[in-house]
Amino acid sequence: MESYNKFLAENVLTEDKVITYRFLSRTLQVHVNTAKQMLYEFHRSQNAKRPGAVHATYLVYGTKKATSAPSESQNGTDGDIEMTSSAPEVESLADVVPASTLCLVSEEQLKDNLADYEEVTSIHVYSIAPHPTKDMALLVDAANQVLSLNASDEGKNLASITNPRVRRRERQGVALKAAAASAAAAVKPQAKPAFSNVKEESKPTQPVQETVAKALSSGLTKKPASSLKRGGNSGIMQAFSKAATKPTKVNKEAEAATPSSEDSSLQPMSDDGEDDDEMSQPKPRAGPGFRTKRQREEELRQMMEEDDEEEEAQEKEETPEEEPMEEEEPPAPEPVKEEEAEVVTTSANGRRRGKRRIMRKKQIMDDQGYLVTIQEPGWESFSEDEAPPPTKPKTTSAAPPAQASKPKKAGPKGQGNIMSFFSKK
Amino acid sequence: MVTLDEIAGTGLLQKPSDTPIESLERPGSDYKSLDTFALPNDRQYKQQFADIYFLRLTKIRPAVEEIATAAWQDTELGGETATKVDRVLDVRQGQLCWVVGTVYMDMPLKPSVLEDVSKDRWISAPTTSDHYYDGAGGESVMLEDDSGRVRLVGSVLKDYFLVTGCIIAVMGTENSNGEFEAIDLKFADLPPQPGRWSLSKPPQKPKVKNEDVEMTDSSRPQPSKKIAIVSGLEFSGTDTSYAMELNLLLEFLLGEALDPAAQSELSQISRLIIAGNSIAKPSEHDPATDKKVLKKYGYDSSSYNPLPSQLLDTFLSSLLPSMPITLLPGVQDPANVSYPQQPIHAAMFPNARTYTAAPPAPGQGQAAALEPGWLDAVTNPWEGEVEGWRVLGTGGQNLDDICRYVDSEDRLGMMEAMCRWRCSAPTAPDTLWSYPFQDDEPFVMKDCPHLYFVGCQPEFGTKVIESPQGQMVRLVLIPSFATTKEIVLIDTETLDVSKVKITA
Repeated sequence: MESYNKFLAENVLTEDKVITYRFLSRTLQVHVNTAKQMLYEFHRSQNAKRPGAVHATYLVYGTKKATSAPSESQNGTDGDIEMTSSAPEVESLADVVPASTLCLVSEEQLKDNLADYEEVTSIHVYSIAPHPTKDMALLVDAANQVLSLNASDEGKNLASITNPRVRRRERQGVALKAAAASAAAAVKPQAKPAFSNVKEESKPTQPVQETVAKALSSGLTKKPASSLKRGGNSGIMQAFSKAATKPTKVNKEAEAATPSSEDSSLQPMSDDGEDDDEMSQPKPRAGPGFRTKRQREEELRQMMEEDDEEEEAQEKEETPEEEPMEEEEPPAPEPVKEEEAEVVTTSANGRRRGKRRIMRKKQIMDDQGYLVTIQEPGWESFSEDEAPPPTKPKTTSAAPPAQASKPKKAGPKGQGNIMSFFSKK
Repeated sequence: MVTLDEIAGTGLLQKPSDTPIESLERPGSDYKSLDTFALPNDRQYKQQFADIYFLRLTKIRPAVEEIATAAWQDTELGGETATKVDRVLDVRQGQLCWVVGTVYMDMPLKPSVLEDVSKDRWISAPTTSDHYYDGAGGESVMLEDDSGRVRLVGSVLKDYFLVTGCIIAVMGTENSNGEFEAIDLKFADLPPQPGRWSLSKPPQKPKVKNEDVEMTDSSRPQPSKKIAIVSGLEFSGTDTSYAMELNLLLEFLLGEALDPAAQSELSQISRLIIAGNSIAKPSEHDPATDKKVLKKYGYDSSSYNPLPSQLLDTFLSSLLPSMPITLLPGVQDPANVSYPQQPIHAAMFPNARTYTAAPPAPGQGQAAALEPGWLDAVTNPWEGEVEGWRVLGTGGQNLDDICRYVDSEDRLGMMEAMCRWRCSAPTAPDTLWSYPFQDDEPFVMKDCPHLYFVGCQPEFGTKVIESPQGQMVRLVLIPSFATTKEIVLIDTETLDVSKVKITA
């Protein structure tokens, strides 16, 4: 309890600071009313030792004398208050209402100030400082010190009035990120084929979203499969699908794959997402990890073009591919954003928001005064209503499953899909 | 007169003691926000403004006619009985008659669209003059409806506030100049007033009732709740002259300042309503507004000062854990300019927005928001029900614009006139910029409020008006905090008003 004396002595006397009751309360974790008393006591004891050592400002709350009222009511009893507060000082049109005044005064002016009051309901020390406070506006900085302490959590016990009914919207941030991650993962399968195949590129974004929605729910595998078909001649595509197939290849055959593409459950789906996720990683130019990976894939692609045999490629790739995958998982979302056709940042309440990439036409006047129309890529934010109902279970548990499903990636079913596709070919 | 000796050593002016401090709890706020003034999201601005006048006249005419009929039914003047004329153009010279129409004021300094067009000014600037009358008597008052327009003359016009857009009934005759000599005017008077708790259910308080019956004096009556209304906080990036007052206001509302007795009084404040102008106008000296030709792509911190909205956000998010807030936009706030202003977007408050209501799910539409947000950003004007009372509030533009028509400082009288006209923004869309409504005219007061407040006013004022049917409306002018440092507290049982002045 006596620690406040030390604290105040250090801060006020030694460090020349202005300390308000709120700051003291927050720092020492005491109730604001106790802090006010501490300030008073410190002020009293210090000035008893050495007059003028510390200077206080007081917060006075009460009823002031009506300005026009004659000052004959010197004794300030209750009866006088009512009479003067109803004094006809205001024009007859408006009602006269009781007015209270909250006033911050320095101790030098306290006496004069109090004389203006009919009744003081409340008075306490607002702050103490080593020097007299001339301009109250300068106290702002002292008062704002409170903000620097994170008063959000602890403040509740210290403030005197609580409100049990306070409602906050539950933070969607966490769910958001998870949703975004999963959505992003799901988006990639679409974005990717679109990139590798020119025909795909012209596809309007609307279908993409629909498929994203589907992908999010469960029927994901179909779409990638079909686009794979179209983009089948893409080297990278092949390389990757093979890379993905690799673990499966050991014992799972193509036959297992076909059914799984129909009823792939959540896990295989996220498997796909992950795989594709990694597929799109070569694109981002940033990050050393990606660069090496890209080179690796380039190699791989060339290899694939030379050689039609899958086994070789897979074996070659087995060691390099597996490890970086694990490492690069965390940084993946960020660079991915630059490349995707769209980024879904929110999918809550069945409403999806995000940004999508579009080409904008822009007319500019060049230095010779000609109008030049250029096309430049840009981002456009969108938000739309259509959203898959099954998204919800996904969003709630998205983050953990996404991680959890990682080890299962090598699971037979998901791998089987792509495998089957290739074997059909 | 209070002397230092009297108060020394009492209350908080003593050594800290170990007495446990009881924690105070704020009462709940019964609150329902109406979306009377909400605009559709896909609104268009292609349509004409004439529909507003037509709708307003159609809506208010029956009430005016009823009152006029009652008053002038058998009025005889010089052996002639007053007759009702349906259209302004049907007025015959020399015939004593009465007619209902919309007032149009032609004033020398009033901005005019036709003038703008004729001078080839296509971008109209906000009005700069603080009044439209010129003092030389250049004004003329017209009465118009969809058929035509007639000029009103007569000394009786001086006895009433008249502005463009209000609906009146006039009795008189047309003189040889084609002017209508008005003998008497009638307004619609106060609209029907819903009872208290018409939209929400009163809180169940069986306990209090029992105690009242059985042991009246043993239980102290529950102190009635209060709502605080403030306007013109004007958080500024450059002007810090009232920053300390703002701080004290926050501490006052939070109940951190003052002593336990005062704190328990303050804990009865169940809601804060901010009636406009939370953010200051950028000053001329603000470096942010200096025209620098230096062009920079994207966010330029030298041309934009985010401090005001940050300060507002800090203020709101500090206060919200303790108190729900209703936030009306004002003329300076980051909302649309034209009436009705739509809610300030939650993106302005990165910290406080977690207290706002969740955006409506797409399938449910706007009406489906079950409960209003703890921080409720609403329209201006705004209509709602607080503690069972119907409340109508505005950010002040409607009243400020009426003041430009009338050479008077009686703002309460103008507020009263608005209620009696049954129109909360009569001068829209003539001089008060407004959305071109087509299907509905929300400024017509369908229901009479119990409490009508107008924010951002030069000084405080309040009075109660009554209608012949016994309806009572509490009118309150909310002063701008930045200039007066005053906030208004309203008792939710009696609608009594008190104010608190904060000085530093």
